Amino acid sequence: MSAARRLTLALGILTAVLLAVTAVALFVGSAGLSPRAVARALAGQAGAESVESIVTLQLRLPRVVAAVLAGGALAVAGVAFQGLTRNPLAEPAVLGVSSGAAFGVVLAQILGLQLTFLQALGVATFAFAGALMAAAAVYLIAVVPGGLSIQTLLLAGVIVGIFFTSAITVLISVMDYNRLGGIIYWLLGNLAPIPAGSLALFAVLALGGCWLILRHARELNLLALGEEAAVQLGVDAVRLKRRVFVAAALLTGSVVAFTGPIGFVGLVVPHLLRGILGQDNRLLVPTALVGGGIFLLAADTLARNIVAPAELSVGVITSFCGAPFFVYLLRTRYRASL
Amino acid sequence: MRRGLAATLMALTLLVAAPVTAPGAALTVRDMLGREVTLPRPPQRIVSLVPSVTEIIFALGAEARLVGRTDFCDYPAAALGKPSVGGMVNPNLETLVTLRPDLVFATDEGNREDTVRQLTRLGIAVYLVHANRIAETVDLIARVGALSERPADVARVSGEMLRRIDAVRKAVAPFPRRRVLYVLWPDPLIVPGRESMLTELIEVAGGVSITANDAEAYPRFSLETAVARAPEVIILADHSTGTSTAGRAAPEKWKRLTSVPAIQAGRLHSADLSILHRYGPRVPEGIETLARFIHPEAFP
Repeated sequence: MSAARRLTLALGILTAVLLAVTAVALFVGSAGLSPRAVARALAGQAGAESVESIVTLQLRLPRVVAAVLAGGALAVAGVAFQGLTRNPLAEPAVLGVSSGAAFGVVLAQILGLQLTFLQALGVATFAFAGALMAAAAVYLIAVVPGGLSIQTLLLAGVIVGIFFTSAITVLISVMDYNRLGGIIYWLLGNLAPIPAGSLALFAVLALGGCWLILRHARELNLLALGEEAAVQLGVDAVRLKRRVFVAAALLTGSVVAFTGPIGFVGLVVPHLLRGILGQDNRLLVPTALVGGGIFLLAADTLARNIVAPAELSVGVITSFCGAPFFVYLLRTRYRASL
Repeated sequence: MRRGLAATLMALTLLVAAPVTAPGAALTVRDMLGREVTLPRPPQRIVSLVPSVTEIIFALGAEARLVGRTDFCDYPAAALGKPSVGGMVNPNLETLVTLRPDLVFATDEGNREDTVRQLTRLGIAVYLVHANRIAETVDLIARVGALSERPADVARVSGEMLRRIDAVRKAVAPFPRRRVLYVLWPDPLIVPGRESMLTELIEVAGGVSITANDAEAYPRFSLETAVARAPEVIILADHSTGTSTAGRAAPEKWKRLTSVPAIQAGRLHSADLSILHRYGPRVPEGIETLARFIHPEAFP
């Protein structure tokens, strides 16, 4: 089967699954609305002030969109970091990039920025700067002539992650006692309904980042052959790495700014897709966008419902899935390369 | 001219309608943070995200209008019969919306700003409360009473409160003030500072908090400094609630500080957190408890 047909088929199937999960997410929740009531609200037949309209259109729908965007962005960031570092275990959270972005957001919150539209742009800028700093630090620590070894890269990620986590702790310790609970809750990684203006901004940043990476998917494929081989095949490796790096940091930063640090989506989803579709980044980037959306939306729907009326943090659920998955990958597939 | 007349008429109508009880009259009030809150009519379906406010609503006898609370609103026992919307930091908005509240009480100390923003976006009126003093507690009771249309009960509840507080003041007046160390959390040591209501409660109960000079509400404090200030009474906050034993006060560690006057005199006590840290009708109970710890001789 040609690559184009495989992509179409895979995207078709994934989109169908995404629609199914979206339907479940819209119809299930602690409000206990009947399917008919939800359908009425979706069709715009319920009054704007009615409980079913508010719950479905103002609480569930924006949260579903946020989950799909965040999951897709994180999965594509994972594909990008893995291609860039030629390291299958690279991922925003593992590399400490999420912690860098989280540091930026906590700093922005201390400075009093919130999620109204203009301020959201400010928070996203802080998050992006933090993500970029962390990613650059990891890269500079781990880079040796001839590429990046798995071991050094993971260690560099851990170290940078610890550094930024301590920096967050410093910020927290000077923070007003009454705001502590809120910040700690945010650090667990939570999805919440985002106001329309901010949601649009999030979509622009996330989809923009994905587009930047998709444009370089073919060159990332060549980079997988090794930097020298890629250069011989006409790839400007330095420029490619710089661009993909910035795009992946942008994706991570925007997700952290709008939802908080959520881990392991960028590890689990690309790996599952590679098992089915192979190593071609031109297939992986678009499918990771949809697949990541499915994964995070499913996780968030669980988080909303298993302990209702209380809620779990979705970051807790993705970590519970992702950490064992990471160990499994480390112990089986990549044993030799350690 | 015509507009002026209309405005005058409107003002007159408003004056006539001024009592909150007028049916169908919209009312605009300022909450304790100075925000304007507009309600189409006095609230009939209230959700309280603040345990203290839940206690006040019950004390005023307005509980018929309370349709939701948080997991932390555990007093009085009847409050547990109301549906909960989850925690103070992470209430479930979906559950909250289905309760169809026309007013939500929240605080800037313990609830998240984001929750307030989300509720406002959904068109639900939010009344923010903030009380760190006995006088502010009395003010809060009056505000809740006015909103829930129980003015007569405000006088009853506040009057009883102030009477009991006054009785304690009188009982401890003849005795010299004792130095008190209040331990909100032992490790790391967290204590009440100037902005905490605890500092005032200790003073009314005939003591003086040795950590009262710290500018923060709840600063972290050095154990060395605390010991050097030679507290004559040590009170440990007991965080265990209901059947949970987590956070139970552990006096053993403190008993080893034998050079401290409080330990020598046997004045090491632990007290239920919920009567000391809520700005509601149980403030006198908290003060009485503290006074008995600080000046047992005043209550033979």
